[in-house]
Amino acid sequence: MTKKAGPLFYVFLALFVFFVMFPFLWVLLSSIKPLSELFGDKAFDWLTSHPTLKSYVSVFVNYPFLRYLWNSTVVATITTVYTVFVAAFAAYAIARLEFKGKTVILGLVLAVSMFPQIATISPIYMFVKKFGLTNSYLGLIIPYTTFALPLSIWLLVTFFRKIPFDLEEAAKMDGATPMQTYFKIILPLAVPGVFTTSILVFIAAWNEFLFALTINTAETYKTVPVGIAMFQGQYTIPWGEISAATVVVTIPLVIMVLLFQRRIVSGLTSGSVKE
Amino acid sequence: MRNEKRMERLLGYSLVAPAMLLILAIAIWPVIQSFYYSLFDYRLNDPTKSSIHWSYSLDLEGYLQNYPFLKSALKQEMAAADGQTKQTLAQIEQKLAKLDAAIRSNDQVARQYDKVNEVLDNFETPSDELKIAELDKQTAERLTDTVHDVVRALKEMKKAGELQQADKVVGLAEGLEGVVIEPNFVGLKHYKDSFSDMRLWKALWNTTFFTVVSVAIELVLGLGIALLINKAFFGRGVVRATILIPWAIPTAVSALMWKFLYDGQNGIVAHYFETIGLVDRMGDLLTTEAGAMFAVIFADVWKTTPYMALLLLAGLQTIPSSLYEAASIDGATKWQQFTQITLPMLKSSILVALLFRTLDAFRVFDLIYVLTGGGPANSTETISILAYKVMFSQTNFGAGSALAVVVFLCVAIISMIYIKWLGKDLLSDSASVKR
Repeated sequence: MTKKAGPLFYVFLALFVFFVMFPFLWVLLSSIKPLSELFGDKAFDWLTSHPTLKSYVSVFVNYPFLRYLWNSTVVATITTVYTVFVAAFAAYAIARLEFKGKTVILGLVLAVSMFPQIATISPIYMFVKKFGLTNSYLGLIIPYTTFALPLSIWLLVTFFRKIPFDLEEAAKMDGATPMQTYFKIILPLAVPGVFTTSILVFIAAWNEFLFALTINTAETYKTVPVGIAMFQGQYTIPWGEISAATVVVTIPLVIMVLLFQRRIVSGLTSGSVKE
Repeated sequence: MRNEKRMERLLGYSLVAPAMLLILAIAIWPVIQSFYYSLFDYRLNDPTKSSIHWSYSLDLEGYLQNYPFLKSALKQEMAAADGQTKQTLAQIEQKLAKLDAAIRSNDQVARQYDKVNEVLDNFETPSDELKIAELDKQTAERLTDTVHDVVRALKEMKKAGELQQADKVVGLAEGLEGVVIEPNFVGLKHYKDSFSDMRLWKALWNTTFFTVVSVAIELVLGLGIALLINKAFFGRGVVRATILIPWAIPTAVSALMWKFLYDGQNGIVAHYFETIGLVDRMGDLLTTEAGAMFAVIFADVWKTTPYMALLLLAGLQTIPSSLYEAASIDGATKWQQFTQITLPMLKSSILVALLFRTLDAFRVFDLIYVLTGGGPANSTETISILAYKVMFSQTNFGAGSALAVVVFLCVAIISMIYIKWLGKDLLSDSASVKR
């Protein structure tokens, strides 16, 4: 941290930011081009002289895009709330209580989080089909547990471990039961960690593709990633609409990332760095 | 004190239990089932194979929709025929009646038999549980053989013009051919077939190539970026946000975005690649084998290098700067500092980042499914894509599950290798209770 940044460094930085952001920039520019300028000679012009919002209108009028957004929101929110709730108890026990087999349990959680989705898809598909859960929210929320729960437990354990043990000892001295300690001392201190975990789980559930692709095939139950990916027809690909839809899903993401970047980074790196 | 310890242990187990049960039921059990499915010839589009059978069984619906009608048709033919033909027909009828008696000799089957008959008489469809009756192997084989003989005999008579309603009789007899459901256990056949199929090896090679090349590039670039931005500078927030956005966007959406940028006619990135001579023609990017693989790797590197840099940066920031100060006082060059201090101190961060990235890359699905669909000519078909296609396009769940198990085993092996390198670092709870 002692090194000082020179002007050359900022040039490099600007280039880096430009390269990473270029696809988004181009998609943003394309989304306001009229259809005729997406193809042919003008396809490679950066700026259009006839900006239009037609693609945006079309995304919402000609496609059930609002419905996709709603579906994704419902599925991701319920998945997040329920897995983080269940995981919070397990993580507290693993991080804070003494009992045999903790390391094995944590190892199992980590192993499950590495499971390839494809290895679970056929039985899960048969299961949701048997119970008539294809094309329903529950049909995605149940399978999403496979990745959301291990992720939540893993992250929460690292956050719970960071809370000082002295507080717990003091509460014990004063005669608090473990449950009282949990609700009155640990949970309030763990709120930032729980929040960070929720953001990461939400993003993971929002982005999920394979289960959503196979289980919810009806237009009214598709999620955003599948919905956008299926914009492409058999012969034509509506690039204008795809660009507009991409911009629509990216903007809330950018806002979220800007607001919570510190938390997200702490969550992403918490499992990988020993402090 | 001892009691308190026991209480704590009990509380611990009961708090962990719900999560563990969910993980067992929704993640571990399906993997076991996948393996189980892979041992069967299990196909969704074939009614006789759309579930798993250990033993022979009889489709009573199919049987009862044909046998009674065949019986009465044969009687009609017998009444109209004479001499040799009449005798043959009588033999056939007797054979079938004996067989019918054999089927009904089992009480349980007889009960189902009558029930299905009743349901069919009411013009309703019997439930799957009701209409499938278990059959012992002997009767099942006898049924298959008998029906086979009967069909052959009737066809010959039809040819000889000895039957009045030849088409009807033969049709009803043929209707009995599909009523025996054979056990579809095939053992390790799917694995044997898969491993002797070039397509699996090609997919494994594609997956490995994609994983090794993209993870290697991501590591080198990520480390470079992490080293460069590991200093105080103006605009850290912007850079951090820039890093997070490609990571946060759904892979399927970013894949579609790259498909647009790579487009052979109006893709800007394809256009620039052509201009700088990276590809001969714009169209090559997604239509040639090498071009498509390059395109997929490039898109993956774009999406995950920033994430890699972030993990490594967090590792770098834990290295105390006093180490570097001491080294430079001792006259160590920058390169020596890098190889002697940075790399050893960063080892566990690098390994963890590599572990996560390697596993992620090995099970890649969304990116390739949307960007190339595995094409052209299966040149970017990874093992997950292949398994998905076999399962859901060919609806061959047995063979697809075998491929899924192969993916699972590969991932398990890769994890074990890394965990061995990492040692217990990953799981040890250094910050945990030391009472």
